[in-house]
Parts: sequence; structure tokens; C-alpha cells
Amino acid sequence: MSDNKNRAVQETLAKGAAKADASYMSRRITIDPITRLEGHGKIDIFLNDQGDVDRAYFQVPELRGFEKFAVGRLAEDMPQITSRICGVCPTAHHMAGTKTLDDLYKVEPTETAKKIREMIYNIFMVEDHAIHFYFLGGPDFVVGPTAPAAERNVLGVIGKVGVDTGKQVIAMRRRLREIISTLGGKVVHPVFGLPGGVARRVKPEEQKHFQEVAKEAVEFGKFTMKILEDIVLKNKDYVDLILSDAFTHKTYYMGLMDKNNHPNFYDGDVRVVTPEGKEYARFPIQKYLEHIGEHVEPWSYVKFCFLKKVGWHGFKEGADSGVFCVAPLARLNAADGMATPLANELYQKYVATLGKPVHHTLANHWARVIELVFAAERFQQLANDPELTSDNIRRLPTETPKEGVGVVEAPRGTLIHHYKTDDRGVITMANLIVATQNNSARTAMSVEKAAKGLISKGVVSDGILNEVEMAFRAYDPCHGCATHSLPGSMPLIVRVRDLEGNTTATLRRDSDGRIHKE
Amino acid sequence: MEESTRSDFSARLLCLGNDILADDAMGLRVAEVLRGRLPASVDVVSSMESGLRLLDHLVGVPRVIVIDAVQTGSAPPGTIFVLREGDISYSPGPSGHYMGLFETLALGKKLDMPVAHDVLIIAVEAEDCRTLGGAMTPAVERAIPEVARRIMEMVG
Repeated sequence: MSDNKNRAVQETLAKGAAKADASYMSRRITIDPITRLEGHGKIDIFLNDQGDVDRAYFQVPELRGFEKFAVGRLAEDMPQITSRICGVCPTAHHMAGTKTLDDLYKVEPTETAKKIREMIYNIFMVEDHAIHFYFLGGPDFVVGPTAPAAERNVLGVIGKVGVDTGKQVIAMRRRLREIISTLGGKVVHPVFGLPGGVARRVKPEEQKHFQEVAKEAVEFGKFTMKILEDIVLKNKDYVDLILSDAFTHKTYYMGLMDKNNHPNFYDGDVRVVTPEGKEYARFPIQKYLEHIGEHVEPWSYVKFCFLKKVGWHGFKEGADSGVFCVAPLARLNAADGMATPLANELYQKYVATLGKPVHHTLANHWARVIELVFAAERFQQLANDPELTSDNIRRLPTETPKEGVGVVEAPRGTLIHHYKTDDRGVITMANLIVATQNNSARTAMSVEKAAKGLISKGVVSDGILNEVEMAFRAYDPCHGCATHSLPGSMPLIVRVRDLEGNTTATLRRDSDGRIHKE
Repeated sequence: MEESTRSDFSARLLCLGNDILADDAMGLRVAEVLRGRLPASVDVVSSMESGLRLLDHLVGVPRVIVIDAVQTGSAPPGTIFVLREGDISYSPGPSGHYMGLFETLALGKKLDMPVAHDVLIIAVEAEDCRTLGGAMTPAVERAIPEVARRIMEMVG
């Protein structure tokens, strides 16, 4: 073929593709919170020519310019900088950043430093899981998905569990935060992590207090499990909902495991199991690029993580698709048991009830409570460790830095930091893979499944907002960082467009929580 | 973030924002301007937190003035909104990841906590709250002295 002909063919193809894109865009429904104040989640639903759902995607806006911002800065500032990105889980970023510095400077922290770090990290996990279970996931489970909209909020949760329980949750949270402040400085911007160790030792007189709070935390975990059992698991409607096909996907699962294949939030190898529950891979985080790929869709700035060796084959489930899942459900699926006695007992009951692996997304809430108990027990083990109060809290780095990778299990799943530097430790490349991104493909599949059940021939059911929100809320996706809390008066809106791009219907949820159709 | 431990303050400025996120730094900049220029009975707190995590700052003081950037899309960048609880219809529907300020206040009240009974919000319409390391846009920057002046009038 001559060059001219070749060019003509290319131009024709490009025109065709542009036309197809334009037509595709005109058949898009967007669910977009109007303000950033109640979270940024955005859902795009694309219809086919028949007006049925072709694809639906959940997007979280990413902050722009991270790499540019990081390059030229000192690597040792990264634990502080990355924790400033996120107002929700700064401790997770701080810890992942600190561990990346260990790897960058090839320095192994002292045993005491590791114990202090892991203890703080588990305290953070107890707090975060408790907030999610009681206040954020609570409206779906504790109050119930079919409760009137006006009750499906945090006050409805308190109404159901009781004011005293609410007070206990708030008091527990305060006690946990006080310890993090004592050891880590500011709660929002922790400053305790250093390459090779921590900035501050645990004083012997503090240890007794930590032990007391840890004991309370374990009791709090038991109490939370009882609430889950009484309110959720004894309610057949809730259990049916957990088991329903609408909230089920068979994918790969990933989590950080100790040497016994028990989940560890602070450290370990990444383990991946197949949709049948068999070990697929186990690797140190430094090999993450061999295993985790990032798929890009032309319509979205969100990258969809997938298992590289299985490959990206679209938003599909099953062993032939590289889509995987992280966070509590995935960690428990990737595990052979739990490292602490009570959590393991609860895990065995969970597996006996739901089987293994558990493919039901809404079981995340149950798995989260088991993890809360584990985090409390692990906190207690570490608080009781005689080595905790040693003053051997740092090994000084001596190697010339080049490249480092670090990982933790954030409450929302596997969180990876990766930095390259020049020999002065100045960043030349920085990459973060956050938990929400690891889960993005499966979250999109859940949203699509919910949307497909609710949209037919261009007609959008009023229930879509609720169902679609439930589909993604179980993953606890992080809606962009540094989101504040001023209230939005209209947090969610759906626009349905016809083939010409004209808006044919608008659904909005008003301040009374009711859905209005215009 | 500063811990709010004293309990004898008459009012608290709760300045929200993120100092590395362009216009989102607005609230924190207002705190810098006002710190040291207000009566000792006024507590100035800067925070990057959100939702339930703000509860600690809403208790133990009768009056709270919240300062934050906001993106309503309904007004030009730099527009100053002054809002009271009754002015805003907040969504009681569950949000994906966060609780709103007034939901947090309502929770505090429900749990018999000594939450502020007078809460006022001063919000400035922002243009860019997504660019890490980005500078504040001129319109939002220009609003800072006016926000500070209004607060001085209220509590100075």
C-alpha cells in the first residue's frame, strides 16, 4: 500500500472513531455530586441504542500534579507530604511512606521500632473500622437499606444501636486518638516515622496506660461483633441482601499476609488468590510492577488496576480476567486464618457461614468487624510486649538511596508507595497506588450491575441512587483527598440523555432525602 | 491541627483546608492572618480534617465559626458566603465516605455532648481545589482580607 493510500485509510478510520466516540458520549448518564462537600464520587452510565445500559463506571476524581509536586523534594519529606494529601487516612500514607524510606535507604528498622509502628497502625485500624461500621456503613446495615430515607443516616444508626453505644464509640475513638497523638505528634499529620525507626520511644510509665486502652479496645471489638450479630446477622432480610446476586462478583483477591498467611496490616508479602480461593501469587512488594498493571480507559482519568500476568480483558469476573479486589473482604479471602485467637474464631464462623472465598461485596461490613477485633487484639499483644519500651528505636541509614517501594494495608485495601531518587535523596519519580484504585475495576462492575437492573429502554428507576450508592459504599472508596465537610444541598443528581445529547429526565435527591423526578 | 483542650473560650474559629492544594488553602491562610489579632477568649484552630473527625472541635465552646473553601459552581470564584445552619438544607442521606458538618453536630447533640449552639460558616467559592502544589487563584486570594475583616467584626 502506498503512503498516500495508507494515510487516507488512517484518516477514514480516525473519522469513524471520532464519530463513534461522539455518538457514545451523547448516550451518557452522569451521576455527579454537585459539590465536593459530601464526597466527589461520580458515576457515568452509557446507554446503547436500545436505551439499555451498555457500561457504567464509578469514578473518583484524582488530585492533579502529584508526580510533578513530588519531584525535586527530599524523599524523607514524603511521609509528611503524602499524609497531607489525605484528611481521612493520613496514618496509612505516613506509614507507607516511612516503609518506602526504609527500602530506599536499605535500612531495617529495629525490632522495637517495628513494634511501635505496628501498634500505632493497629490503633488507627481499630478507629477507622469503627467509624466506618457505625457511622458510614451503618445507614445501609444497622438501619437497613429499606428504611425510610429520612432515617438512613447517622442519627438513624444511633436510634437503632442506642445513645449509650454511640457514646461508647465516641469515647473509644478519643482514647485511641490520644495514644496516636502521644506517640506520633499530630493525629492528622503524624511525624513519628523515620527511615530505620521512629522518632519517639514509648516510656515505661506510658505502657501501662496503653495496656489498659488495649484491653478496652478488645472489649469494644467483642461488643461491636455482638451488635453485628444481633442487628445484622439475625435479620434474614439483611443476610439475603448480602447473598444476593446483585452484590456478587467472582474475582481475584489480594492482601498483605504474614508467614502463616494471616492478614497483617503493617507488613508481609502480598498474596493473591484465585476466584476459587487457591494461591495465585505471593510476592514482596518490590515486585509489584511484575504483578499489578494499570489499565487506562479513554473516557476516564482513573486507572484500573489488574493482574498483569492474567491480563486485562475488560470489566469481567472469573479466573480469565485480571480484575482483583482489595480491602476487608479480599484480605480475609486471601488469608488462611487470623493471627489472633478471637478474630480467628470469628473468621472460622464467617467462613463456615458464607463459604470461601466470599464473593459477596456487602460481606465487607462483616469482614471489617472481624478485622477490627484482630486490630484490637494485635494492639493488645504489642502493648504487652516487654520490648516495646526499649530505647533502641532507630537504626541510622548509611546506604546511598536509589529506589524504594513500601506497602501497608490501609483500611480500604493495599496501599503502595514507590519513589526513585538521585544519590542525595531528591525525588526523581514518585508513584502511588491507592486502595481505591486497586478496587476500581470491581467497584465499576458493581455499579454497572446495579445500574443494569434499574435502567431499561432509557427509563430510569427512582431507586437508582440508593442501589448504586450501596453498590460502591461497601468498598468504602476514598472520594478524593482533602475533602471537607460543609454540607451540600444536593449531593447527587442523575441526568438521562438521548442520542442527540438532550436531557430527557433529571433525578435528584433533595435535602429531605427523597428522590424527585423532573 | 491543634488540640482544643481549653474549655473557657467564648468562640472558636475552625479554619479548614489543605495547604498544598491550591485554593483549598484559603481557610488555613485566614487562620494565619488572624492568629494573634483576636481576643484571647477566641480559639483559632486550623484543621485538614473532615466529617466526624471535626467533632472534637465542635465541643466545649458556645460558638464556632467555620471557614472553608467551597465549590458550589453557582457563583464566581472569590464569592463569600455567610451561612447559618438554618440557611443550608443538608443531606441526611448517607454519603459515601464522609459525614457532613451538620450531621456531625447533630450526632454530638444526640449523644449529649456539649456541642456549640451557634455555628456559622464563612465559605469562599474556590476555582481549583485539585492541583497539588498549585497556587491560590487571584480571586480567592483577594477574598482573604475581606473574610478576615468580617471575622474581626464578629469576634474582634
